[in-house]
Amino acid sequence: MRQHLKNSTMRSALTVFAFFFTMICYAQEKGTLLIKNGTVLTVTKGVLSETDVLVKDGKIAQIGKNIAAPQDAKTIDAKGLYVMPGIIDAHSHVGIDGINEATSPVTAEVAESDVVNPFQIMIYRALGGGITTIHAMHGSANAIGGQCETLKLRYGTYDADAMKMEGAPRTIKFALGENPTRVHGGGSGIVPRTRMGVEFVIRKAFTDAKKYSEDWDAYNKNKLVKGFRGAPPVYNLRLETLAEILKGNIIIHCHSYRADEIYMMLNVCKDFGIKRITFQHVNEGFKVAPELAAYGAGASVFSDWWAYKFEVYYSTAYNAAILTKNGVVTSINSDDAEMMRHLYHEAGKTQKYGSLSDDEALALITINPAKQLGIDSRVGSLEVGKDGDITIFKNHPLSIYGVPQYTIVDGIVRFDREKDPDDMRLMVDPKQSFDDSFSKEKIIDNCMDGTELMLNELIEGDKN
Amino acid sequence: MLKKLKVTAWAFALALMPLLLPAQQQEEKPPIAPAGKTFALTNVNVVQGPGRKIDKGIVIIKDGLIANVGKSVAIPSEAIIIKADSLYVYAGFIDGLSRAGVTKPKEEREREKIKDPGNPPAEKAGINPQIDVRNFLNPDDKSVEEMRSLGFTVAQVVPYGNFLPGQSALIMLGGKTADEMVLTSNTALYSELAGTQGMYPNTVMAVMAKWRELYKNASLTKSYQASYASNRQGIARPANDHILEAFYPVIDQRTPVLFKSEKVLDVQRIFTLKNDLGFSLQLAEVKEGWPVINKIKTSNAKVFLSLDLPEEIKKDEKKDDKKEAKKDSVKTAEKPKEKTAWDKEKEVLEKRKAEAIASYTSQAAAFSKAGIPFGFSTLSAKSKDIQANLRRMIAAGLSEDAALAALTTTPAQLLGLSDRLGTIDAGKIANLVVSDKPYFNEKSKVRYVFVDGVMYKLDGKDAKKDDSKKTK
Repeated sequence: MRQHLKNSTMRSALTVFAFFFTMICYAQEKGTLLIKNGTVLTVTKGVLSETDVLVKDGKIAQIGKNIAAPQDAKTIDAKGLYVMPGIIDAHSHVGIDGINEATSPVTAEVAESDVVNPFQIMIYRALGGGITTIHAMHGSANAIGGQCETLKLRYGTYDADAMKMEGAPRTIKFALGENPTRVHGGGSGIVPRTRMGVEFVIRKAFTDAKKYSEDWDAYNKNKLVKGFRGAPPVYNLRLETLAEILKGNIIIHCHSYRADEIYMMLNVCKDFGIKRITFQHVNEGFKVAPELAAYGAGASVFSDWWAYKFEVYYSTAYNAAILTKNGVVTSINSDDAEMMRHLYHEAGKTQKYGSLSDDEALALITINPAKQLGIDSRVGSLEVGKDGDITIFKNHPLSIYGVPQYTIVDGIVRFDREKDPDDMRLMVDPKQSFDDSFSKEKIIDNCMDGTELMLNELIEGDKN
Repeated sequence: MLKKLKVTAWAFALALMPLLLPAQQQEEKPPIAPAGKTFALTNVNVVQGPGRKIDKGIVIIKDGLIANVGKSVAIPSEAIIIKADSLYVYAGFIDGLSRAGVTKPKEEREREKIKDPGNPPAEKAGINPQIDVRNFLNPDDKSVEEMRSLGFTVAQVVPYGNFLPGQSALIMLGGKTADEMVLTSNTALYSELAGTQGMYPNTVMAVMAKWRELYKNASLTKSYQASYASNRQGIARPANDHILEAFYPVIDQRTPVLFKSEKVLDVQRIFTLKNDLGFSLQLAEVKEGWPVINKIKTSNAKVFLSLDLPEEIKKDEKKDDKKEAKKDSVKTAEKPKEKTAWDKEKEVLEKRKAEAIASYTSQAAAFSKAGIPFGFSTLSAKSKDIQANLRRMIAAGLSEDAALAALTTTPAQLLGLSDRLGTIDAGKIANLVVSDKPYFNEKSKVRYVFVDGVMYKLDGKDAKKDDSKKTK
């Protein structure tokens, strides 16, 4: 059904390409832009009516009334429109080639930063939903998966590196429960087969990494001694990466559903001195909300999606609200290229289920995911000095009538509903047959993508 | 498919090779003249190199070398004279990346299930950097004759496999034995950004992680071995590791890494590794380099563009569409059919597809215009398409001289062969291609190819086609 809808949208006449070519030129630039007379939803500093926002060289330079437009600056008349920070999705698999290195229960050394794909059309469609930043994650096949990458949706660039949010902290995917036990225990007959096994794999990995760090520290210290000629330890990129987690240089984003496993993981973090962790999905988070808050752990949840496998039955649409009211830094994510395009609706649901305020609901898709990714000093709210990542809505973004009109990244308009050509592909497959253009579009944004062979079976429609 | 290939099968194929060779040699027509003979090409249009032409000149070939070339040079009395009136002679072509003459290992029928897919044996996981392509050379492989018949006389060849299949060699597309073929061995460490299904590393990201780890460990082991070699008393003997040792020449910058780099994202990912590790690089089989042409230019990587091109949209198909439309309109009371939204959309999509194809076809012209020296490679090109593809590149703006340079002088320079190959000058190796019309002419046919001074006469392609029909 969803596929059908996508196709019919695409079938509207394909005509204009000029816009596509102008976008290429802007790929790595920072823009200057004045947004006039909008209702400015700052998220952190209240709502400002009839207010201008000036973006200069990619950064928010001024927010106030009657700001004069700099020479040659593009101006958007936002009268009657809502101006909000660009939406941030803390859980996505868009913009990368390869989601799961599902061959081993621990693959900390692999990094999505190596396989960024700036050509995926899903990136442009996400801009159409007001998204400006995504957390492009490794999948959930392994207890300790690969490193993730925070991307800015600078669609139009051919340069994979230009998609990366420069200076964003390193993050890594962990996964508890059924996915790692099914892939490795069930598929390959190795540890972990149970939730106990998952805990063991993680604890062993950290213990090994600690030992590895100590060995290298000892070697480096010995090397300073004159005449030392000892052999270096074997370099291991996996343990090297895990050691960086222990040093606090990589934030854990941990796929989880059940309260018991979430609590287990908090204990593991405590034992190894790890402070920075956000739980992903965390459907039973409402049961351990005070514990999460006390630890300072984040929670990134679905608004109302569950019951797609056994461990995800005990769930509630009040999850985000309960976590928020307990003081947990909470975000709502998509984990899905389609849902990402209406994350503002997903946030709006918390007003029906939990009566969150506008600021609390908007924070779920702006400043809170920014905090979870360690980029809140740069994005997530409209404040002077922050990046010019802005989404402009017709009607309030939490209203069912809200529709994104412009999506701006670094002061560059990357999506404009008025100028939205049908064919926005950057690279066209020269071998693709005409019919393929419509019906055989391959959407790969699945948490368990790449695990099929490990399981020796195709898991239809199995996500997360 | 490649992922299923197994080293054990290579070993098996190797063991069989001596048994197979005599039979194959009997079937093969021997070259017309053995090496050591003297030839004189007379009255021939000599294209010594790009932009260097002699009308009605003479080329003397003696003992495998070009003995003399000029307008009027003395013809030795023992020379076999080839009256090459109205023919054209060029330096033999050089192929930057190919598997011509490399025996393909047999595929294992059933894939053995690996017990722990996270820790497979190196050879199963495609980690074979120590393997030398010379182990797999076979001068009687039909790919040698196929490529030679197009005018290719030298190729940089690599073993089959993925990730780290082994060490490349520059070979002559001629000769009677594997050793006779080899011009230079261990020219590069060959790699592809491709993992193995069902085991580590499987994804590109794991391949890149493993690349870094192997390289770093090779550096560490290499330094420790050097330290040990300088004074072997009192410290632990370094471990022997034939896989890591294969990286040593790369670490010393004596040998480049040769990467298959078809897609634009492959190129970018390979640059990521290059920038992290600092090896010198040959980018080969480049098909989509134009979006990152500036990055390629500043990278100092040596570039070989693919001679494979996407197929052109056939005009016949369009005609068929029109015919069908006519038939339909007859049925519907001869009203001219109005374009539906679908038709219009199809037109627009096909226009973009045609533009995309044009980008591939004009890549060589774009590189030439940007001043990036490049050769060609044929790894994924079908031999029957290569001449037509060259003409398409020329039609898309590549000058004939630039095309010739990319087949001769530039690859010779990129591969360190300029003193021996790439032009028709006295003293160089007698690798030549003789065609009946200028080579890039549509009707041109290759008549003779010389490899190491050995002449291979071609009967013309039409006759061959007939033969193949008969055998069916």
